Amino acid sequence: MVPPPASAVADSMNVPGRPRDSQTNVDILAVTKGFHWPWLLAFLASVSGVLMALGALTYQTYYGLGVAGYQAPVFWGVYIITFVFWIGIGHAGTLISAILFLFRAKWRNAINRGAETMTVFAVLTAALFPLIHIGRLWKFYFLLPYPNQRYLWVNFKSPLIWDVFAINTYLTISVLFFFVGLIPDIAIARDRAVGWKKVVYTIVSAGWQGSGKQWKAHNRTILHLSGIATPLVLSVHSIVSWDFAMSIVPGWHATIFAPYFVAGAIFGGFAMVVIVMVPVRRIFRLEEYITDYHFENMSRFILFTSLICAYAYGAEYFIAWYSGIEPEQTSFWQRAFGPYWFSTWSMITFNVIMPQLLWIKRLRTNIPFLFVLCFFINVGMWFERYVIIITSLSREYVPAAWGLYIPSTVELMVLTGSFCWFAMFFLLFLKMFPIIAITEVKELTIHARDHAEGGQH
Amino acid sequence: MSELDRRDFLKIVGLSAGAAAAVGCGDPVDKLIPYVIQPEEITPGIAVVYASTCMECPAACGLHVKTREGRPIKLEGNPEHPINQGRLCARGQVGLGRTYHPDRIEGPATRSGDGSLQAVSWDDAKNKLVAKIGSAPQKTWILGGAVGPSLDGLIDQFVTATGIAGRLTYEPFGPHALIEASEAVFGVSAVPVFDISGADLIVDFGADFLDTGPSPAEHAGQFSKTRDLATHSDGGARLISIGPRQNLTASNADYWIATAPGSEGLLALALAKAVSDRLGSNAAGAALAGADISAAIAAAEIERNVFDGLVDKLVSAKHAVVLPPGIASSTTAGAGSAAAVLLLNVVLGAVGSQLKIPATDAKPTSTLKDVTALIAEMKAGNVDCLLIHDLNPVYALPASAGFKEALTKVGLVVSFASLVDETTEVANLLVPDHTAMESWGDASPRPGIRSLVQPTLRPLFDTQALGDTLLSVGRAMGGGVADQLPSGSWKSVVEANWSDTNWRKALARGGVFEPMPTREVTVAASAANLRPSAARLQGSGDLTLVTFPHSYYGDGRGAALPWMQEIPDPVTKLSWNSWAEISFAKAKELDVVFGDVLTIDTGTGSFDVSVFPRGGVREDIVAIPIGQGHTVGHYASMAGDGEPGVARGVNVAAILPTALDEAGGQAYLSTRATVTKTGRFRRLALSQWTDNQRKRGLAPEVSIYDLAQTGGMAHFVAAAQASEAGGEGMGEGEHAEAAAGGHHFEGPPFTFDAANDSHPDQPYRWGMTIDNDKCTGCSACIAACYIENNGTIVGELEAIRHREMTWLRIERYVGDGDDDVRDSSERRPTPDGEILGLNEVRHLPMLCQHCGAAPCESVCPVIATYHSPEGLNAMIYNRCVGTRYCANNCVYKVRRFNYFDYGRLNWPGLLGLMLNPDVTVRGQGVMEKCTFCAQRISAARQPAKDEGREIADGEVVMACQQACPSGAIEFGNVKDTASVAALKAKQGDERSYHALQELNTRSAITYLAQVRREKNEGVH
Repeated sequence: MVPPPASAVADSMNVPGRPRDSQTNVDILAVTKGFHWPWLLAFLASVSGVLMALGALTYQTYYGLGVAGYQAPVFWGVYIITFVFWIGIGHAGTLISAILFLFRAKWRNAINRGAETMTVFAVLTAALFPLIHIGRLWKFYFLLPYPNQRYLWVNFKSPLIWDVFAINTYLTISVLFFFVGLIPDIAIARDRAVGWKKVVYTIVSAGWQGSGKQWKAHNRTILHLSGIATPLVLSVHSIVSWDFAMSIVPGWHATIFAPYFVAGAIFGGFAMVVIVMVPVRRIFRLEEYITDYHFENMSRFILFTSLICAYAYGAEYFIAWYSGIEPEQTSFWQRAFGPYWFSTWSMITFNVIMPQLLWIKRLRTNIPFLFVLCFFINVGMWFERYVIIITSLSREYVPAAWGLYIPSTVELMVLTGSFCWFAMFFLLFLKMFPIIAITEVKELTIHARDHAEGGQH
Repeated sequence: MSELDRRDFLKIVGLSAGAAAAVGCGDPVDKLIPYVIQPEEITPGIAVVYASTCMECPAACGLHVKTREGRPIKLEGNPEHPINQGRLCARGQVGLGRTYHPDRIEGPATRSGDGSLQAVSWDDAKNKLVAKIGSAPQKTWILGGAVGPSLDGLIDQFVTATGIAGRLTYEPFGPHALIEASEAVFGVSAVPVFDISGADLIVDFGADFLDTGPSPAEHAGQFSKTRDLATHSDGGARLISIGPRQNLTASNADYWIATAPGSEGLLALALAKAVSDRLGSNAAGAALAGADISAAIAAAEIERNVFDGLVDKLVSAKHAVVLPPGIASSTTAGAGSAAAVLLLNVVLGAVGSQLKIPATDAKPTSTLKDVTALIAEMKAGNVDCLLIHDLNPVYALPASAGFKEALTKVGLVVSFASLVDETTEVANLLVPDHTAMESWGDASPRPGIRSLVQPTLRPLFDTQALGDTLLSVGRAMGGGVADQLPSGSWKSVVEANWSDTNWRKALARGGVFEPMPTREVTVAASAANLRPSAARLQGSGDLTLVTFPHSYYGDGRGAALPWMQEIPDPVTKLSWNSWAEISFAKAKELDVVFGDVLTIDTGTGSFDVSVFPRGGVREDIVAIPIGQGHTVGHYASMAGDGEPGVARGVNVAAILPTALDEAGGQAYLSTRATVTKTGRFRRLALSQWTDNQRKRGLAPEVSIYDLAQTGGMAHFVAAAQASEAGGEGMGEGEHAEAAAGGHHFEGPPFTFDAANDSHPDQPYRWGMTIDNDKCTGCSACIAACYIENNGTIVGELEAIRHREMTWLRIERYVGDGDDDVRDSSERRPTPDGEILGLNEVRHLPMLCQHCGAAPCESVCPVIATYHSPEGLNAMIYNRCVGTRYCANNCVYKVRRFNYFDYGRLNWPGLLGLMLNPDVTVRGQGVMEKCTFCAQRISAARQPAKDEGREIADGEVVMACQQACPSGAIEFGNVKDTASVAALKAKQGDERSYHALQELNTRSAITYLAQVRREKNEGVH
């Protein structure tokens, strides 16, 4: 991604009447204070959604996975689709925080907190799904290599175990990264808080005073964590993709899966950042901090990754045809024209065709348009996993064992609940912590101011 | 019993405390209670086997009842029994379930005025019976099914002693027509016995001898032997099947000739005439005088050259045998048709060799004609008491006969049934009989064979053997009745009947088995009197209604057993309901697809049923299976699905007219039907979505000519995976055979040695060889697997969703298939392969292949499935967390998931008592699959270890292998090159292959490809 010229940053940031540091503090912390009707409604809705999903999950755990739509030969369904979906969403945050940090793409500063928050909660949401999906939830700890008297060990050959490690590593690093970045901002909040919030902030801010020494340590930590997190952005979804690529199922067993999944994840992740940030910006009046310029940059990312996805879709079909392997060819034909044609064509329409509109600059900065587009992109990304998982499993090697899968109500309730779960945490975060990295925005302002005053970079 | 004594007091206190404790806990406490005094012959953990006889159908196969700690848990064939020779069909396997069935009637009961049942004591029941019979013996009748000779004799004695009006022994599928034909043709009233073991040409006019015929296990065994490639290098006997519907026998035939329904007799007579002329034979004498060849060809709607081809084959065959029409083709001229078939056998010289006439006459049985006479008596008020045993007349008799209405005129309807059925629903007095597992009895399927039934567990409920009930009633009647009845109990009656034998020896062997005494017969003058004629059909519809016996339900008795409901019909692969088969052309004309509901109206009655269009039926028929449509029963009706009183499927008796053949038996092929579309749709449980194997070579075929000429599988391999990529996959491994030309393999397509896939120190690598050429698709193996391995039955709604839990399925493919990627997304694609008159059916038993390089093993995150040192792909249920990755990665799709807590939910009533204690009942959320009967391997290991030797070949017998009537399955240690399994794989080298071998899963199952013995062009 090409960072905007420094002058552009200066233009957009250093407009007359640009908030001073103290004003920035007030504006951003205002989100956590006061009463916002839309927030309350959204929060209540998400809590009820979570409760509904919890009910559905309890029902499923008690009676068995038969209440979900699984049927031979499709043994993975909505839960794994949603798992991969949320893991994908959890990519943009780290990409923005770590990789763009390393590339010194300064425009990221206004959105990185939002993206990181999204990442942490998305990965938390995703991590639930392998558990929701297993037949014996109460034995989930079998998946962990814990010491035990019976010398039972996990199977390190299984991609699912790789998953366990990949997700846990990613979650740990994301949380650390997120938390370290938050410390200076929490300290600002602490200084302006009273009552119980003050106590909480005091504990969480870990004694931050803003001294030069602390800043130095902070910046080193962020740098190192960025270095660690960068390969994780690539590894997590590569490993998740190997859940499929390492198998023998026609339609899964493909070497392109790792880059294909990573690109798709970034694609979907950025779209999710847009979906999340548009209402936040609107409701909490943060237009001064999250500008059209940010949305345009994200649009470019979306357009770029959409093209990678398009290439991957094409490559899959090409290889299926080129391989000359009949089960593979049949599997792909069935994707496009079989009983699940709607998922494939949704995927292609939403992920390939619609994002091409972003070639038009006017649309890249048209926020309502972007919001709608990103919504469809996320639907498309969900269907991408639907296509991969469901259609491939439904048409395997033994034609006599072919069958179809239809998601059940319970699964759809849990799927809905996962969005509510994510939203619930995100909304709570909004009310507790600054959604824009105050110190980093200030950094930009100072940078821009210096730039304007000094007349040179 | 005046006061509590100390012991009773303590007992009650203890019991109450225990009960309180049990109620207090969340989970009831189950205790394993050891024997206080251990019975001498029982060692806990060691099975005790008793010989008995299967009473599921009149074939009377010998059983070995395997009991554990006093409970029968598995039925296997008695190897000494001459009928089944150690094998057992699907119906026989699951007959065990009757004893533990939730439909069992738990004790005697009377029906009060409001229709509810009141339990009564046996004394009260007996007194009621005695009073009723005693008051008007001349108005008392017994109506029952066929029973063994001892019980038959006792009932006769009872009838004589009590002076009641009479007794009818009615079997809906009884051989009335054949006896009548034998009477006319040979002048002897006997049931001819067909022995196809020495035949070189078998022509089946609809007996469906491999599936629903008179003795399917026996005939399947004979069929397998007479076509065994190891002993018949020319492929052995050829089979030609004739009839309007491709049944299971036709599916296995070399030719299937789709003749017009009801034309079998005319065709047989014409063939007899033509063959007789060609051979210059005069054996049939004047009986053939009236045969009209041209008319027969016209009636059968076949080409002249087909007829001539048939004649050629019959003339050139040395040991041809012709089987008579079965139930599905029993017309009003059924006896005439059977007579024509007998004459054809006479002309062919089969009488005395393949067709044997027993030396003794058949005991006369009643026919539908007799039953209708009884119904008339009932309607006239001349029957006050009707005793019904071993028959469900309310269900089985055609509704048009009016039996149910006539029953209302009967004062007391008594049922001896063990399980509830439509008749017990309307009976006033229930005096339940034991099941066959609980009672003494005997059977004699044919002269020379006497087979014993012995109890293998104490009666579970308050039931009483029918024999004992009759004895006690008779003795209580007074007036000298008791003197005319045998003394002692029912058991002593049986023993007395067997007094001419060594009782203990007979009991141990399962009976006394001698060759059937036969007699010489010649064509009698009366042969010319019984002539076949074209079927007389009632009604005016444009289609002929063909009602055929379902593979597993018999005349409806099998429908109560859940396994029979769940195992898919071997031809259509449908389960749990009724369907109507029509041709694709007719379906197109009616604009219906699979599952659309049709109204079938015969004028006599009508019902709605889902349609199953297929290529295997003529355009002028609609075919519906017999046996469904019960309104009573946990599994037989919808009661188990929460809809008591609602029929499961349709009962053809509701729309069949009361049409009789010359012998008075029911003509099932007797009406036309109007078929109309209703616009409704009802999904059916179809276990196999397509029969197109897409040229994937799953079930290949090799022609006998290629086999003879090239000794290779060129035919198969060229048609199998055409892709080079597949070939490369196979090239892996040191045992790889070079892929010649890249397109097909020369020589055996083995790419690896399965024997290497166990630990090098291990003497064993368990493996299996399945001969597809012998597999008829009968599904006995599936039933055996269910019972042996505690397989659960999931019910119709779950079966519709492909959630059946079977570890073994038989895939049915038609031809090599079509690899066009464009397969439709319809409810079921139109199988182009199934073409009228063409027979390309392939059966492929599919079970866990215990791969050497199993895709399932590497992906399990918790090592719940792993490779055992002996090469088994083992499954640890306790360790499984249910990620189901293994099932996704299994290329054979043989893994099953416990969607619910089946072990707790799906064994209602006492059904759980038949669980095999050696096999874990799988819990909710775990995967399961075929274990190669690991428990049987373990059972064989211990004695071998004790004796310091290795397990010998043949010591471990899989449940499926044991059951298979055709001996298609061999199991053994494939590391031992002398084991039968290894030898068969090697002997059949040019036919052997592994399913999906191009994926290099190193499957432990070697399949032997099916052999095409004739060019598949039909006899055109």
